[in-house]
Amino acid sequence: MFHPRGHHRHSLHCILPPYLLRSVAQNGTGPQRAAALHTAAVDSTFRSLRFASTQTAQRAPSRIISGMMAESQCHRSIYDLQGQETFPGTLARSEGQGATGDVAVDEAYDGLGATYDLLWEVYGRNSIDDSGMRLNAHVHYGTNYDNAFWDGQRMVFGDGGGDLFNRFTIAIDIIGHELAHGMTEDEGPLVYFRQAGALNESMSDVFGSLVKQKFLNQTADKADWLIGAGLLADGVQGKALRSMKAPGTAYDDPVLGKDPQPGHMRDFVRTWEDNGGVHINSGIPNRAFFLLATQLGGYAWEKAGHIWYEALRDTRLRPDCGFARFARVTLMAAARLYGEGGAEDTAVRDAWNQVGIPVTREKVSVAFIPPQQGVPASKPSRRPNA
Amino acid sequence: MRIELKREGGVAFIPGLNRPRLFNLADLPPAQAEAITRSVQAASFFERPARVGTASKGAADQTRYTLTIEEGGRRHSVQLLEPVEDASLRALLDLLKQVERTAARAPPNTVNR
Repeated sequence: MFHPRGHHRHSLHCILPPYLLRSVAQNGTGPQRAAALHTAAVDSTFRSLRFASTQTAQRAPSRIISGMMAESQCHRSIYDLQGQETFPGTLARSEGQGATGDVAVDEAYDGLGATYDLLWEVYGRNSIDDSGMRLNAHVHYGTNYDNAFWDGQRMVFGDGGGDLFNRFTIAIDIIGHELAHGMTEDEGPLVYFRQAGALNESMSDVFGSLVKQKFLNQTADKADWLIGAGLLADGVQGKALRSMKAPGTAYDDPVLGKDPQPGHMRDFVRTWEDNGGVHINSGIPNRAFFLLATQLGGYAWEKAGHIWYEALRDTRLRPDCGFARFARVTLMAAARLYGEGGAEDTAVRDAWNQVGIPVTREKVSVAFIPPQQGVPASKPSRRPNA
Repeated sequence: MRIELKREGGVAFIPGLNRPRLFNLADLPPAQAEAITRSVQAASFFERPARVGTASKGAADQTRYTLTIEEGGRRHSVQLLEPVEDASLRALLDLLKQVERTAARAPPNTVNR
């Protein structure tokens, strides 16, 4: 469908974004073609931003080819590891095949589809690398395995032991969370350590939650803003792994302990554990996003999601980006997308202020955020030359 | 033989699961203790480097296990990043997780939590 707002921002590398090409090819009328061309013509800020980076410029040619493809194709493959920990396992369901009756296989299939749909329909992004990357998930990993992870290429889900956790495919936002790690790696990257790592984690929670909200067709005020609802087994005192709305309140249980997430900079946790607190301090940017989305109202994936998405794609988002720099990048993204001094601009500023990160757009261009101390000697991973 | 199993990472930081688990083989049922001893030997644990497995580019939410074993005056730690590809180390880890689970259901003092 043609985008109703007409000024929807999209990937620079597309002469026309894929979804526009598709819809124009299918349903295009004269005015729609004109609007599409106009959109492409005025959207130059993002082009210059992205071409400012040589890395991006190097990547551009292959991307233009993919962007010119009129059809997006979602390619899902779900593998059954049958309790083993050696990959790939047995192919249980591939794109277009019907339900298998194995609930983990089918939940993974649907969750990948919902994530793909959010990226494609809302952000005009063709899969997690914007080049149609195949989506592979591996379920039934190990026995009683209490985790889900992204290994850089594929998603892996355990069945949970049943005493503390249920199967990890039960929560669609966790599926979106894992896939979003792939998107962050492609667009960022954000080093998986300290504040940059917490932003990386938060980005996954934000887009994971948006996958769920869009799947349920919920407006920001109706969403529960929980990450991993349904994952905690019966008897565990808690409702989810994290709460974006009220970080630190997701669980308080004799075995699990208490949710350690802060929702404000005054409670920022300095630790060497958890890669410098990446799953802990992510509560702060998580709450900023929640505050922004509820302030703006409507569907969170629309304005708030677009602002975050453009911030993620901004070349000023460095691999060691801290919260303050990220906040400024979101503020600039809001101004680019919706105009300076508008409600969105103000709402972004208010949201960060409420979590203890005062931010002004003016400071962005002059601010120098020193690299975090203690970042590992290894260089940030190279942008894939996809 | 005393074994400490520490977990780090995963899709969430859960304080209660982050505490190290201590296994004293003398306190375990003989069959379990024997299986663990055999598995430690089969894995050549004391000859292993301090780290096994490296995170791929962009990987996230993986669990990192730190296994520390004390036996006869020697002490060695190995950090394992999942998925653990080495079969014998994986078998040892699986065994310890199994003991941990049975201990969680059994009365206290078999495993110090």
